[in-house]
Amino acid sequence: MSSLWLVARREIVTRGRTKAFVIGLVVSAVLVAALAFLPRIFAGPDSYTVGVTGSQSLQAALPQTAKDIEITVRQFPDEAAASKAVLAGDVDAALVADRKVLADGEVDRELGLLLENAHQAAQVQRQLADAGLDPAKVAQAMRVAPLEQVSVGTDTRYSGVRIGIASLLVMLLFFLIIYGSMYVAMGVVEEKGSRIVEILLTSIRPWQLLGGKIVGLGVLALVNLVVVIVAGLGAAAATGLAADLPPGMTGIVISTLFWFLLGYGFFAAMAAALGSLVSRQEDVGSVLTPMTMIMMVAYLVAYYAAFEPGGPVARILSLVPPFSSMVMPVRMAGGEVAAWEIALAAVLMLLATVGTLALGSRIYQRAVLRTGARVKLSEVVR
Amino acid sequence: MIEIDDLHKRYGDKTALDGVTFSVKPGEMFGFVGANGAGKTTTMRILMGVLTADSGSVLRDGRPLTFEDRRRFGYMPEERGLYQKMKVTEQIEYFGRLRGMGSGDARRATEGLLTRLSLTERRNDAVDTLSLGNQQRVQLAVALVHEPEVLVLDEPFSGLDPLAVDALADVLAERCRSGVPVLFSSHQLDLVERLCHSVGIISAGRMVASGAVEDLRDREGRGRLRVIVRDATPGWTSGLPGDITENGDEVLLTGVTGDGQEILHLAAKAGRVEHFGWQRPTLTEIFREAVA
Repeated sequence: MSSLWLVARREIVTRGRTKAFVIGLVVSAVLVAALAFLPRIFAGPDSYTVGVTGSQSLQAALPQTAKDIEITVRQFPDEAAASKAVLAGDVDAALVADRKVLADGEVDRELGLLLENAHQAAQVQRQLADAGLDPAKVAQAMRVAPLEQVSVGTDTRYSGVRIGIASLLVMLLFFLIIYGSMYVAMGVVEEKGSRIVEILLTSIRPWQLLGGKIVGLGVLALVNLVVVIVAGLGAAAATGLAADLPPGMTGIVISTLFWFLLGYGFFAAMAAALGSLVSRQEDVGSVLTPMTMIMMVAYLVAYYAAFEPGGPVARILSLVPPFSSMVMPVRMAGGEVAAWEIALAAVLMLLATVGTLALGSRIYQRAVLRTGARVKLSEVVR
Repeated sequence: MIEIDDLHKRYGDKTALDGVTFSVKPGEMFGFVGANGAGKTTTMRILMGVLTADSGSVLRDGRPLTFEDRRRFGYMPEERGLYQKMKVTEQIEYFGRLRGMGSGDARRATEGLLTRLSLTERRNDAVDTLSLGNQQRVQLAVALVHEPEVLVLDEPFSGLDPLAVDALADVLAERCRSGVPVLFSSHQLDLVERLCHSVGIISAGRMVASGAVEDLRDREGRGRLRVIVRDATPGWTSGLPGDITENGDEVLLTGVTGDGQEILHLAAKAGRVEHFGWQRPTLTEIFREAVA
């Protein structure tokens, strides 16, 4: 076991300090963090400054009508001063003597509604008081509980965010698994082509060498995944987007890590087996074609599943390994998935990963010492 | 003692090894020579367990070699293999650790080898920035770092400058003196003759000669007599035993039996004997003869 860790540590140390890895880590973290800022850039402002002349009642009513929106009220002595402030852009709009709203051009739609509501409430309250009703009773009567939203169909409140998170996951899983597996294959070929493998395999067992390589590169990919998740969630918290995230984010994160490990294990073992068939780096791309094809299909289905998590193709392929490793976490992020489906997919994928690891290391052992021409798969499987 | 016993190996319908047998004793330096494609590398790869023989066995002190035995061997494969981007020191230490050394031991052994092989100045350089000769030294350090109990080196001297050859020869001789069997292959027969106690000559997958270098030279030299007689009576050679090759005053007799005293007698009568002696062939001559 200690030999496996030695191999894994070498992979982590030598690959982890390459420019390619560090740059990839920074770029992916920055990209995901930037994505968290996007809604803020496209959504309207969530704070306004309003100028007021004369009225006092509106000031009390405004914050009540708009709970999520911050409104700063500034007093002006007269209409002229207020209108100057509007033109200068110091305030978004100004309410003059409870009669009219001044704006530079058109009043912002959201702000207009807010002002109208607050104005209505303040006026009703004042007129009722003028009619001789007890102000305290009026205030109590005015307090109305807002309507509660209940969906009788699918809960679609978070569907936009869920689609966003799910499609982000697709890309993340796809790139991390494909890069991790590519590096496994390239490492195998590097050792085979230079015959280091002859020294290695007289020092340690094949499973220790292969296992160490897969574990080491897997740790790096996992580090990349965690960094991206932390960057994304951190940025979401910083921008206030976190409040809009659907419930169960922790569950989504944990299931992503779980499915990543299974998917990576499967594809890395496959990449190692295929990589061990060739002796030159130039041949890695072509020998990995079957693997990249499967990954592309998984990617496309997972992408489709991000937008339609309950669709028939997504439902079926989220159970079939190795597609399930990418489709299932996306379905889980995109909507509700029955527990039995998750359990079945997990068991099947686990079996497939263990099977591929066993078969892959068998092929690897038989092929990795046969340098020269490309080894035929049929010669080493049996 | 390492015994290679009757190894056979075929690749498709091509026979690579056809009953290769020889042994290397503790403290013996064994030179393994043969033409390209004769089967040296195949034999060494089977010895190291990276290739499986069709039949035959490799024994150490009478029992088959195990993986654990081979872990304590030092091995240098035919095609040089190092991690190109890894630093010299890290690389040597890493292979020491893989062979089961603790990190402290591996570091100390690496330091020793860096000094020994004059690599100290390049210790923190990546391997791909080194000259071929220096890469070769690193390769040797990798094979030697764990104080191996047996050394198996495929063409360790190829590509080395004379100074590096001497440095390597010293290291090997030192390991040999401490009782380690050393087996190496080489095309440089003069080097093998100078360094090795024993040689094995392989040709087309068969051992054509093997044994102590001196024995081999004596054996091959037996019956070959070189005589130089100045101012000899013409025709004195007629009636001499064996096959006769004459070149001016020099006469080469092959297939001579006995101690040759009667030939010396005849020569002395015929003229002034300038040279009379058994012709011991060089290793190169034995090699040419053996593989012809």
